Amino acid sequence: MTHIAIADQEPELHHPRTFIGKYIWSQDHKVIAIQYACTAIFVGLVALMLSVVMRLQLGFPDQFDFINPNMYLQFVTMHGMIMVIYLLTALLLGGFGNYLIPLMVGTRDMVFPYLNMLSFWFYFLSVLVLLASFFAPGGPTGAGWTLYPPQSILEGTPGSGWGIVLMLASLAIFIIAFTMGGLNYVSTILQARTRGMTLMRMPLTIWGIFTATILGLFAFPALLVSAIMMLFDSVLGTSFFMPAIVSLGEATDYEGGSPILFQHLFWFFGHPEVYIVALPAFGMVSDVLSVHARKNIFGYRMMVWAIVIIGGLSFVVWAHHMYVSGMNPYFGFFFATTTLIIAVPTAIKVYNWVLTLWQGNIHLTVPMLFAIGFIFTFTHGGLSGLFLGNVVIDLPLSDTFFVVAHFHMVMGVSPIMVLFAAIYHWFPLVTGKQLNTRLGMIHFWGTFLGTYAIYLPMHYIGFLGVPRRYYALGDTSFIPDSAHALNANITIAVIIVALFQLIFIINLFWTIKREPKSRINPWDAASLEWHTPDVPPRHGNWGKELPTVHRWAYDYSVPGVVNDFIPQHVPDSDVTYEPGYDRTATGREST
Amino acid sequence: MKGFSALTEKPWLATPDSAIAYDASGGTPLAQIALRFLLMVISIAFVLIFVTFLTRSQYPDFQALAGEPWLPFNQSPRLWATTAVLVAASAAMHWAWHSVKSQKPDGVMLGISVGGFLALVFIMAQWTTWNYLANLGYGVSDNPANSYFYLFTGLHALHLFGGVLAVVRVFIRIGQGCSIDQVAVAVKACTTYWHYLLALWLVLFFLLTRTPEAYALLAAACGLG
Repeated sequence: MTHIAIADQEPELHHPRTFIGKYIWSQDHKVIAIQYACTAIFVGLVALMLSVVMRLQLGFPDQFDFINPNMYLQFVTMHGMIMVIYLLTALLLGGFGNYLIPLMVGTRDMVFPYLNMLSFWFYFLSVLVLLASFFAPGGPTGAGWTLYPPQSILEGTPGSGWGIVLMLASLAIFIIAFTMGGLNYVSTILQARTRGMTLMRMPLTIWGIFTATILGLFAFPALLVSAIMMLFDSVLGTSFFMPAIVSLGEATDYEGGSPILFQHLFWFFGHPEVYIVALPAFGMVSDVLSVHARKNIFGYRMMVWAIVIIGGLSFVVWAHHMYVSGMNPYFGFFFATTTLIIAVPTAIKVYNWVLTLWQGNIHLTVPMLFAIGFIFTFTHGGLSGLFLGNVVIDLPLSDTFFVVAHFHMVMGVSPIMVLFAAIYHWFPLVTGKQLNTRLGMIHFWGTFLGTYAIYLPMHYIGFLGVPRRYYALGDTSFIPDSAHALNANITIAVIIVALFQLIFIINLFWTIKREPKSRINPWDAASLEWHTPDVPPRHGNWGKELPTVHRWAYDYSVPGVVNDFIPQHVPDSDVTYEPGYDRTATGREST
Repeated sequence: MKGFSALTEKPWLATPDSAIAYDASGGTPLAQIALRFLLMVISIAFVLIFVTFLTRSQYPDFQALAGEPWLPFNQSPRLWATTAVLVAASAAMHWAWHSVKSQKPDGVMLGISVGGFLALVFIMAQWTTWNYLANLGYGVSDNPANSYFYLFTGLHALHLFGGVLAVVRVFIRIGQGCSIDQVAVAVKACTTYWHYLLALWLVLFFLLTRTPEAYALLAAACGLG
């Protein structure tokens, strides 16, 4: 049931008149989305730079002298944490969630606009606190993005003083920001959809964002709790996670704590986090594929159920990250089984994406290329996950570059492919201009082929047993010269891929400055967000009256219909059929 | 079943507009929906700390705060007194909500004022309990049981303080001339929140004042022993 009374709040909207009201302390979901996106992309570029420096060290350990071992560990940590939390989570949910939810469900704004504004500024503060650790005494933490105790707060680890405290404080602030945003997203989707927008008429983008938000609301408390308890251990000297331990030759005051408890808490958050990133990406790629293949998404209902089932299962697989922690073998068996089960709904989604393309009228636009690229990278990342999900295979591969290659393919490259697809797809809605296609093509091919040049050999050196998190490999008998050569090649590929990202940045500025206005709804999309009275949409989105939704978002190439798509807000009476076409013959008419 | 039938809809079929229900009244107030999710989030955080607490309670260095005559919470009149304050705060908020329903503005003001004030008294009482413990030599890092006491009660007090800020906002809105109907949803949300924090405190009170034997039993019952 939808609640149009809540969705239609035009009289209550406060239209700001000053620059600060419009663009700084804005309560408009679209401005907040752009604020989120710009901050996330900026901090993501910082993380990208860190990875380039790390790779230069790894690929050419004798040629460059940029960083020392401590800095290497600090860069690894900050790269991982920034990419997972501050870029992917923030951009997918804070950026795209904010922009698309009200437009796709047909409301004027989020239901708590003030809270939404606070959400962004808390996020911004969390980024500032995180980046401040680069300038704090001792630098940022070098504990690895998992922040495992005891090493994360012992003196031998870089950034064990200010660095870890700032990291934990930043995470706590981020979680507060996420909770404020998340309550908004969930309430808006549940309560403020426009007339006719039933749950099963929502685009899959919204289903992905909705489920991921619920996962975030339920999983982030685990990270918050572990951050607070570790702050207690670090600052107040408690022993929640810290065992009795000798550090740098001296006995510490810690006694009796359990690092494994932290691991459980961390991964109870950490695995759902994979799907907090993946589910919005699943949703968005489904919509992009459908629009650019001019075909309805294959198996819509099953796609929705798969999203919900994956969300539920993601809470019972966390310990597959901990096979080497010495767990009871029966636990390992349980978590390996649940891990393999989660592959079933995931595979359903992959099949359905491919079947959406099957016999579609495929337009190889830039967003479509990125979306198809995602199917490749995600399938490859998922397949290596099947190896790591099994205890006996995981044990020898644990802590090698195979793991690094796996998770980068599945939750680094794949969501980023979707992010690019989404940016190219929805850019005309946000700015009224279409990103330059030629630059976009160059960007796609450089990124897609480049990531394979990075991660395929990385799987191989992982198989050889090359360990991760090492500053330099040195002369070790079990690592052949070919692995060193591959490492150098990977580094060159990283630099090339990083340079291709500059083309994307240049494209953004070029398009905004130089490209002419594109036509409205340039992709001929049927979903609601493309059918606002103004493009880009104005504050309040819909003018005087909210739209009424008459159909789902995937009416493309409908048999017998003259146009090749029917927008969601167009009633049947306004659809033009070919002369003599028998509408009841398709089975689309409900009985 | 309503949710299930919603998920089995076939959106690709043309559905007559008249077949789609919508609620022009707005349905459940948004603040209630958001509050329900918020309470779930808070509950998950506390349940996760409970789990670590029960696990940690079975380690040899854990010394419970009750169970022997010399332990600070073997008899806990101090905690009973703070509990009484929180019960009174919750009752006052309930009175405020009752007054909203019976359209009595004075009752609403009195209820939220007393409820908010007593919540502050509770927080102050918790502060004195922390000082009392520290003076007895039960510092935050001296034993994991102490650490958990400070952690649990601190987080609970922090949440209550957040609630007080919400009450102050309602108070200001009434002072600015808002009618009872305009603040009804907020008063209802505050009342629900107060009841929730009372229930949470009762669980914490129970948990933090048990003997080692009781912890062993609880841990075993939860499969953590």
